[in-house]
Amino acid sequence: MAKFKSTKILMDGIWNDNPVFRQLIGLCSALAVTNLCMNSFIMGMGLTFVTGLSSFTISLIRQFTPKHIRMMVQVLIIAVYVIIVDIFLRAYMPELSKALGPYVGLIITNCIIMGRAEAYAQNNPPIPALIDGVANGLGYTLVLLSIAVVREILAFGSLFGIQILGEGFVPWTIMIMPPSAFFLLAIIIWITHNIQENKSEVAK
Amino acid sequence: MRKSFAYPILFMTLITSITVFALAFLNESTAERVATLQETELRTKILYAFDIDLNTDDPVEIERIFYENIEEETSGEERIFILKENNQDTGYAFPVSGPGLWGTINAYVAISTDYDELLGIVFVKHEETPGLGGRIEEEAFLQQFRGLNVSSAEDGNYIVYRPATNGNVDAIAGATLTSQSVANLLNQDIDIFINARKGE
Repeated sequence: MAKFKSTKILMDGIWNDNPVFRQLIGLCSALAVTNLCMNSFIMGMGLTFVTGLSSFTISLIRQFTPKHIRMMVQVLIIAVYVIIVDIFLRAYMPELSKALGPYVGLIITNCIIMGRAEAYAQNNPPIPALIDGVANGLGYTLVLLSIAVVREILAFGSLFGIQILGEGFVPWTIMIMPPSAFFLLAIIIWITHNIQENKSEVAK
Repeated sequence: MRKSFAYPILFMTLITSITVFALAFLNESTAERVATLQETELRTKILYAFDIDLNTDDPVEIERIFYENIEEETSGEERIFILKENNQDTGYAFPVSGPGLWGTINAYVAISTDYDELLGIVFVKHEETPGLGGRIEEEAFLQQFRGLNVSSAEDGNYIVYRPATNGNVDAIAGATLTSQSVANLLNQDIDIFINARKGE
Protein backbone atom coordinates (compact mmCIF):
# COMPACT_ATOMS: atom_id res chain seq x y z
CA MET A 1 0.00 0.00 0.00
CA ALA A 2 1.34 3.37 -0.98
CA LYS A 3 2.04 5.78 1.81
CA PHE A 4 -0.48 8.52 2.14
CA LYS A 5 -0.74 11.64 4.27
CA SER A 6 -4.09 11.79 6.01
CA THR A 7 -3.60 15.40 7.11
CA LYS A 8 -2.98 16.42 3.51
CA ILE A 9 -6.11 14.62 2.31
CA LEU A 10 -8.08 16.31 5.08
CA MET A 11 -6.74 19.76 4.28
CA ASP A 12 -7.38 19.27 0.57
CA GLY A 13 -11.00 18.32 1.16
CA ILE A 14 -11.73 21.04 3.66
CA TRP A 15 -9.73 23.93 2.25
CA ASN A 16 -7.42 23.58 -0.77
CA ASP A 17 -9.85 21.60 -2.91
CA ASN A 18 -13.05 22.37 -1.06
CA PRO A 19 -15.91 20.81 -3.05
CA VAL A 20 -18.12 23.89 -2.90
CA PHE A 21 -15.87 26.91 -3.35
CA ARG A 22 -13.01 25.29 -5.31
CA GLN A 23 -14.68 22.54 -7.31
CA LEU A 24 -18.06 24.30 -7.44
CA ILE A 25 -20.10 21.13 -7.01
CA GLY A 26 -22.93 20.30 -4.63
CA LEU A 27 -24.29 23.81 -4.99
CA CYS A 28 -28.02 23.03 -5.29
CA SER A 29 -28.33 21.68 -1.79
CA ALA A 30 -26.13 24.47 -0.48
CA LEU A 31 -28.84 26.83 -1.68
CA ALA A 32 -31.77 24.77 -0.45
CA VAL A 33 -31.08 23.85 3.16
CA THR A 34 -29.10 26.83 4.41
CA ASN A 35 -32.08 28.76 5.80
CA LEU A 36 -31.51 27.32 9.28
CA CYS A 37 -28.23 26.33 10.92
CA MET A 38 -29.63 23.09 12.29
CA ASN A 39 -30.81 21.97 8.85
CA SER A 40 -27.42 22.74 7.37
CA PHE A 41 -25.60 20.96 10.13
CA ILE A 42 -27.63 17.77 9.83
CA MET A 43 -27.45 17.88 6.04
CA GLY A 44 -23.68 18.29 6.26
CA MET A 45 -23.34 15.45 8.73
CA GLY A 46 -25.55 13.22 6.56
CA LEU A 47 -23.49 14.02 3.50
CA THR A 48 -20.22 13.46 5.37
CA PHE A 49 -21.45 10.06 6.51
CA VAL A 50 -22.58 9.07 3.02
CA THR A 51 -19.49 10.37 1.20
CA GLY A 52 -17.12 8.78 3.67
CA LEU A 53 -18.68 5.35 3.79
CA SER A 54 -19.63 5.13 0.13
CA SER A 55 -16.07 6.08 -0.85
CA PHE A 56 -14.81 3.45 1.55
CA THR A 57 -17.11 0.74 0.19
CA ILE A 58 -16.51 1.61 -3.43
CA SER A 59 -12.79 1.53 -2.87
CA LEU A 60 -13.10 -1.79 -1.04
CA ILE A 61 -14.79 -3.54 -3.95
CA ARG A 62 -13.08 -1.59 -6.74
CA GLN A 63 -10.93 -4.52 -7.80
CA PHE A 64 -13.94 -6.78 -8.28
CA THR A 65 -16.10 -4.20 -9.99
CA PRO A 66 -16.22 -4.52 -13.77
CA LYS A 67 -15.12 -1.15 -15.17
CA HIS A 68 -18.04 -0.57 -17.49
CA ILE A 69 -20.72 -0.98 -14.80
CA ARG A 70 -18.83 0.87 -12.05
CA MET A 71 -21.18 3.87 -12.08
CA MET A 72 -24.19 1.64 -11.54
CA VAL A 73 -22.45 0.10 -8.57
CA GLN A 74 -21.47 3.52 -7.22
CA VAL A 75 -24.99 4.89 -7.41
CA LEU A 76 -26.34 1.76 -5.77
CA ILE A 77 -23.93 2.02 -2.85
CA ILE A 78 -24.56 5.74 -2.44
CA ALA A 79 -28.31 5.16 -2.46
CA VAL A 80 -27.99 2.50 0.22
CA TYR A 81 -26.17 4.85 2.58
CA VAL A 82 -28.61 7.67 1.89
CA ILE A 83 -31.53 5.39 2.75
CA ILE A 84 -29.77 4.45 5.97
CA VAL A 85 -29.48 8.15 6.87
CA ASP A 86 -33.14 8.66 5.98
CA ILE A 87 -34.31 5.73 8.11
CA PHE A 88 -32.13 6.88 11.00
CA LEU A 89 -33.50 10.43 10.89
CA ARG A 90 -37.09 9.21 10.66
CA ALA A 91 -36.71 6.90 13.65
CA TYR A 92 -34.56 9.01 15.94
CA MET A 93 -34.83 12.64 14.84
CA PRO A 94 -38.38 13.00 13.48
CA GLU A 95 -38.36 16.80 13.80
CA LEU A 96 -35.31 17.16 11.59
CA SER A 97 -36.51 14.53 9.20
CA LYS A 98 -39.62 16.65 8.68
CA ALA A 99 -37.64 19.86 8.31
CA LEU A 100 -35.29 18.40 5.71
CA GLY A 101 -38.09 16.57 3.94
CA PRO A 102 -37.19 15.55 0.39
CA TYR A 103 -33.65 16.91 0.66
CA VAL A 104 -32.39 13.83 2.48
CA GLY A 105 -33.33 11.62 -0.45
CA LEU A 106 -31.71 14.11 -2.76
CA ILE A 107 -28.30 13.52 -1.13
CA ILE A 108 -28.09 10.67 -3.68
CA THR A 109 -27.85 13.18 -6.48
CA ASN A 110 -25.29 15.35 -4.70
CA CYS A 111 -22.41 15.58 -7.16
CA ILE A 112 -19.82 15.62 -4.38
CA ILE A 113 -20.37 11.96 -3.53
CA MET A 114 -20.26 10.72 -7.11
CA GLY A 115 -17.38 13.10 -7.78
CA ARG A 116 -15.29 11.69 -4.95
CA ALA A 117 -16.18 8.13 -5.89
CA GLU A 118 -15.01 8.67 -9.47
CA ALA A 119 -12.06 10.94 -8.74
CA TYR A 120 -10.63 9.29 -5.68
CA ALA A 121 -12.23 6.13 -4.32
CA GLN A 122 -12.07 4.31 -7.64
CA ASN A 123 -8.27 4.51 -7.70
CA ASN A 124 -7.20 4.52 -4.06
CA PRO A 125 -7.21 2.15 -1.09
CA PRO A 126 -10.18 2.12 1.32
CA ILE A 127 -8.75 4.05 4.28
CA PRO A 128 -7.51 7.10 2.30
CA ALA A 129 -10.81 6.98 0.40
CA LEU A 130 -12.72 7.12 3.67
CA ILE A 131 -10.66 10.08 4.87
CA ASP A 132 -11.06 11.82 1.53
CA GLY A 133 -14.83 11.35 1.63
CA VAL A 134 -15.11 12.62 5.19
CA ALA A 135 -12.85 15.58 4.42
CA ASN A 136 -14.98 16.62 1.47
CA GLY A 137 -18.11 16.19 3.53
CA LEU A 138 -16.65 18.42 6.23
CA GLY A 139 -15.62 21.01 3.66
CA TYR A 140 -19.18 21.03 2.39
CA THR A 141 -20.60 21.30 5.92
CA LEU A 142 -18.28 24.22 6.63
CA VAL A 143 -19.53 26.21 3.66
CA LEU A 144 -23.16 25.34 4.37
CA LEU A 145 -22.80 26.48 7.96
CA SER A 146 -21.13 29.75 7.06
CA ILE A 147 -24.02 30.57 4.72
CA ALA A 148 -26.62 29.36 7.22
CA VAL A 149 -25.22 31.41 10.10
CA VAL A 150 -25.61 34.64 8.14
CA ARG A 151 -29.01 33.67 6.75
CA GLU A 152 -30.48 32.55 10.05
CA ILE A 153 -29.28 35.61 11.98
CA LEU A 154 -30.62 38.04 9.39
CA ALA A 155 -33.80 36.14 8.59
CA PHE A 156 -34.94 34.99 12.02
CA GLY A 157 -32.62 36.79 14.44
CA SER A 158 -31.64 33.44 15.87
CA LEU A 159 -28.74 30.99 15.79
CA PHE A 160 -29.40 27.24 15.97
CA GLY A 161 -32.93 28.14 17.01
CA ILE A 162 -31.82 30.34 19.94
CA GLN A 163 -32.99 33.93 19.69
CA ILE A 164 -29.98 36.25 19.82
CA LEU A 165 -31.32 39.46 18.36
CA GLY A 166 -33.89 41.43 20.32
CA GLU A 167 -37.58 41.94 19.67
CA GLY A 168 -36.96 45.17 17.78
CA PHE A 169 -35.09 43.36 15.03
CA VAL A 170 -36.81 43.45 11.66
CA PRO A 171 -36.22 40.17 9.78
CA TRP A 172 -34.79 40.42 6.27
CA THR A 173 -37.33 38.61 4.16
CA ILE A 174 -34.85 38.17 1.31
CA MET A 175 -32.63 36.06 3.57
CA ILE A 176 -35.36 33.47 3.94
CA MET A 177 -35.75 33.12 0.20
CA PRO A 178 -33.36 31.01 -1.90
CA PRO A 179 -31.79 33.99 -3.77
CA SER A 180 -29.95 35.13 -0.65
CA ALA A 181 -27.99 31.88 -0.70
CA PHE A 182 -26.76 32.82 -4.18
CA PHE A 183 -25.39 36.15 -2.96
CA LEU A 184 -23.78 34.64 0.11
CA LEU A 185 -22.29 31.73 -1.79
CA ALA A 186 -20.79 34.13 -4.31
CA ILE A 187 -19.35 36.25 -1.51
CA ILE A 188 -17.83 33.19 0.15
CA ILE A 189 -16.28 32.03 -3.14
CA TRP A 190 -14.90 35.53 -3.67
CA ILE A 191 -13.37 35.78 -0.21
CA THR A 192 -11.84 32.30 -0.21
CA HIS A 193 -10.40 32.70 -3.70
CA ASN A 194 -8.81 35.97 -2.64
CA ILE A 195 -7.20 34.35 0.37
CA GLN A 196 -6.02 31.34 -1.60
CA GLU A 197 -4.64 33.45 -4.45
CA ASN A 198 -2.77 35.76 -2.09
CA LYS A 199 -1.18 32.75 -0.52
CA SER A 200 -0.03 31.27 -3.80
CA GLU A 201 1.44 34.63 -4.84
CA VAL A 202 3.43 34.83 -1.64
CA ALA A 203 4.64 31.32 -2.29
CA LYS A 204 6.03 32.38 -5.66
CA MET B 1 -13.38 -13.94 -16.38
CA ARG B 2 -14.14 -10.31 -15.60
CA LYS B 3 -14.55 -9.62 -19.31
CA SER B 4 -17.22 -12.30 -19.62
CA PHE B 5 -20.85 -11.46 -20.29
CA ALA B 6 -22.27 -13.06 -17.16
CA TYR B 7 -19.89 -11.61 -14.59
CA PRO B 8 -21.29 -8.04 -14.47
CA ILE B 9 -24.84 -9.37 -14.22
CA LEU B 10 -23.90 -11.75 -11.43
CA PHE B 11 -21.94 -9.04 -9.65
CA MET B 12 -24.81 -6.56 -9.83
CA THR B 13 -27.37 -9.14 -8.70
CA LEU B 14 -25.24 -10.18 -5.77
CA ILE B 15 -24.49 -6.67 -4.55
CA THR B 16 -28.11 -5.59 -5.00
CA SER B 17 -29.48 -8.51 -3.02
CA ILE B 18 -27.03 -7.99 -0.18
CA THR B 19 -27.85 -4.30 0.15
CA VAL B 20 -31.59 -4.79 -0.26
CA PHE B 21 -31.61 -7.35 2.53
CA ALA B 22 -29.60 -5.07 4.78
CA LEU B 23 -31.95 -2.16 4.16
CA ALA B 24 -35.10 -4.23 4.52
CA PHE B 25 -33.83 -5.47 7.86
CA LEU B 26 -33.02 -1.94 9.01
CA ASN B 27 -36.40 -0.65 7.88
CA GLU B 28 -38.24 -3.50 9.56
CA SER B 29 -36.42 -3.03 12.84
CA THR B 30 -37.26 0.67 13.02
CA ALA B 31 -40.78 0.44 11.56
CA GLU B 32 -42.46 0.09 14.92
CA ARG B 33 -40.58 3.01 16.40
CA VAL B 34 -41.47 5.22 13.44
CA ALA B 35 -45.14 4.23 13.65
CA THR B 36 -45.26 5.03 17.37
CA LEU B 37 -43.59 8.38 16.76
CA GLN B 38 -46.11 9.26 14.08
CA GLU B 39 -49.07 8.16 16.18
CA THR B 40 -47.82 10.15 19.18
CA GLU B 41 -47.31 13.19 17.00
CA LEU B 42 -50.84 12.94 15.61
CA ARG B 43 -52.26 12.54 19.13
CA THR B 44 -50.35 15.60 20.31
CA LYS B 45 -51.73 17.57 17.40
CA ILE B 46 -55.33 16.45 17.93
CA LEU B 47 -55.09 17.32 21.63
CA TYR B 48 -53.73 20.70 20.63
CA ALA B 49 -56.64 21.26 18.23
CA PHE B 50 -59.07 20.52 21.07
CA ASP B 51 -57.09 22.89 23.30
CA ILE B 52 -56.25 20.27 25.90
CA ASP B 53 -53.12 21.14 27.83
CA LEU B 54 -50.29 18.70 27.49
CA ASN B 55 -47.24 19.23 29.68
CA THR B 56 -45.42 16.08 28.75
CA ASP B 57 -43.41 14.48 25.95
CA ASP B 58 -43.88 10.99 27.27
CA PRO B 59 -45.68 8.86 24.65
CA VAL B 60 -47.42 6.69 27.27
CA GLU B 61 -48.72 9.70 29.13
CA ILE B 62 -49.87 11.31 25.89
CA GLU B 63 -51.71 8.12 24.97
CA ARG B 64 -53.42 8.03 28.38
CA ILE B 65 -54.59 11.65 28.18
CA PHE B 66 -55.66 11.10 24.60
CA TYR B 67 -57.92 8.14 25.33
CA GLU B 68 -59.28 9.79 28.46
CA ASN B 69 -60.72 12.62 26.38
CA ILE B 70 -61.08 11.42 22.85
CA GLU B 71 -62.78 8.70 20.88
CA GLU B 72 -61.89 7.77 17.38
CA GLU B 73 -64.23 7.09 14.52
CA THR B 74 -63.51 6.18 10.93
CA SER B 75 -65.69 7.57 8.23
CA GLY B 76 -64.65 6.31 4.84
CA GLU B 77 -60.88 6.68 4.79
CA GLU B 78 -60.86 9.60 7.18
CA ARG B 79 -60.17 9.44 10.86
CA ILE B 80 -62.49 11.64 12.85
CA PHE B 81 -61.84 12.32 16.51
CA ILE B 82 -64.60 13.03 19.00
CA LEU B 83 -64.02 15.02 22.17
CA LYS B 84 -65.85 13.63 25.18
CA GLU B 85 -66.64 15.56 28.31
CA ASN B 86 -68.65 13.78 30.99
CA ASN B 87 -69.75 11.19 28.42
CA GLN B 88 -71.10 13.91 26.18
CA ASP B 89 -69.77 14.59 22.71
CA THR B 90 -68.53 18.15 22.77
CA GLY B 91 -66.46 18.45 19.63
CA TYR B 92 -65.25 16.85 16.42
CA ALA B 93 -61.81 17.02 14.85
CA PHE B 94 -61.63 16.17 11.19
CA PRO B 95 -58.88 16.27 8.57
CA VAL B 96 -58.80 19.01 5.95
CA SER B 97 -56.40 19.37 3.07
CA GLY B 98 -55.83 21.38 -0.06
CA PRO B 99 -53.16 22.87 -2.26
CA GLY B 100 -50.82 25.38 -0.65
CA LEU B 101 -48.22 27.51 -2.38
CA TRP B 102 -45.60 24.74 -2.79
CA GLY B 103 -47.42 21.55 -1.87
CA THR B 104 -50.41 20.02 -0.20
CA ILE B 105 -51.34 21.37 3.21
CA ASN B 106 -52.83 18.87 5.66
CA ALA B 107 -54.50 20.03 8.82
CA TYR B 108 -57.08 19.06 11.41
CA VAL B 109 -59.98 21.30 12.35
CA ALA B 110 -61.78 20.93 15.67
CA ILE B 111 -65.36 22.16 15.76
CA SER B 112 -68.05 22.15 18.45
CA THR B 113 -70.86 19.63 18.09
CA ASP B 114 -73.38 22.34 17.23
CA TYR B 115 -71.04 23.48 14.42
CA ASP B 116 -71.16 27.07 15.71
CA GLU B 117 -67.66 27.40 17.04
CA LEU B 118 -64.19 26.36 15.93
CA LEU B 119 -62.29 24.89 18.85
CA GLY B 120 -58.95 25.14 17.09
CA ILE B 121 -56.93 24.12 14.08
CA VAL B 122 -53.57 22.44 13.73
CA PHE B 123 -51.33 21.82 10.73
CA VAL B 124 -50.08 18.31 10.23
CA LYS B 125 -48.05 18.73 7.07
CA HIS B 126 -47.16 21.59 4.78
CA GLU B 127 -44.31 22.72 2.56
CA GLU B 128 -44.70 26.49 2.77
CA THR B 129 -41.68 28.80 2.74
CA PRO B 130 -40.04 28.72 6.18
CA GLY B 131 -40.34 32.10 7.87
CA LEU B 132 -43.07 33.31 5.50
CA GLY B 133 -45.91 30.93 4.73
CA GLY B 134 -44.42 28.53 7.24
CA ARG B 135 -45.57 30.90 9.96
CA ILE B 136 -49.06 29.39 9.73
CA GLU B 137 -47.69 26.97 12.32
CA GLU B 138 -47.03 29.74 14.79
CA GLU B 139 -49.08 30.15 17.92
CA ALA B 140 -50.14 33.70 17.03
CA PHE B 141 -51.83 32.54 13.84
CA LEU B 142 -53.37 29.37 15.25
CA GLN B 143 -54.73 31.09 18.37
CA GLN B 144 -57.01 33.20 16.19
CA PHE B 145 -59.10 30.12 15.41
CA ARG B 146 -59.72 29.20 19.04
CA GLY B 147 -63.38 29.73 19.81
CA LEU B 148 -63.97 31.45 16.49
CA ASN B 149 -67.69 31.80 15.99
CA VAL B 150 -68.67 30.54 12.56
CA SER B 151 -72.45 30.34 13.03
CA SER B 152 -73.10 33.48 10.98
CA ALA B 153 -70.90 32.42 8.05
CA GLU B 154 -72.35 33.19 4.64
CA ASP B 155 -71.95 31.05 1.51
CA GLY B 156 -69.48 28.77 3.19
CA ASN B 157 -67.06 31.58 3.99
CA TYR B 158 -66.21 30.56 7.52
CA ILE B 159 -62.77 32.16 7.44
CA VAL B 160 -62.60 35.73 6.13
CA TYR B 161 -59.44 37.77 6.46
CA ARG B 162 -59.53 41.27 7.83
CA PRO B 163 -59.89 44.06 6.80
CA ALA B 164 -62.72 42.75 4.62
CA THR B 165 -66.15 43.31 6.11
CA ASN B 166 -67.07 40.36 8.36
CA GLY B 167 -63.36 39.57 8.57
CA ASN B 168 -62.61 37.39 11.56
CA VAL B 169 -58.96 36.37 11.18
CA ASP B 170 -55.67 38.16 10.37
CA ALA B 171 -53.71 36.81 7.42
CA ILE B 172 -49.92 36.47 7.56
CA ALA B 173 -48.12 39.50 6.20
CA GLY B 174 -45.84 38.68 3.29
CA ALA B 175 -47.48 35.32 2.70
CA THR B 176 -50.60 36.26 0.79
CA LEU B 177 -50.79 33.10 -1.29
CA THR B 178 -50.31 30.75 1.63
CA SER B 179 -52.87 32.66 3.71
CA GLN B 180 -55.37 32.51 0.88
CA SER B 181 -54.77 28.78 0.32
CA VAL B 182 -55.32 28.12 4.01
CA ALA B 183 -58.58 30.06 4.00
CA ASN B 184 -59.76 28.27 0.87
CA LEU B 185 -59.06 24.80 2.09
CA LEU B 186 -60.55 25.50 5.51
CA ASN B 187 -63.71 27.03 4.06
CA GLN B 188 -64.16 24.24 1.55
CA ASP B 189 -63.60 21.31 3.86
CA ILE B 190 -65.43 22.77 6.86
CA ASP B 191 -68.42 23.34 4.60
CA ILE B 192 -68.31 19.78 3.28
CA PHE B 193 -67.99 18.37 6.79
CA ILE B 194 -70.84 20.41 8.26
CA ASN B 195 -73.16 19.71 5.36
CA ALA B 196 -72.42 16.00 5.42
CA ARG B 197 -73.03 15.87 9.16
CA LYS B 198 -76.16 17.98 9.16
CA GLY B 199 -77.56 15.94 6.31
CA GLU B 200 -77.28 12.79 8.38
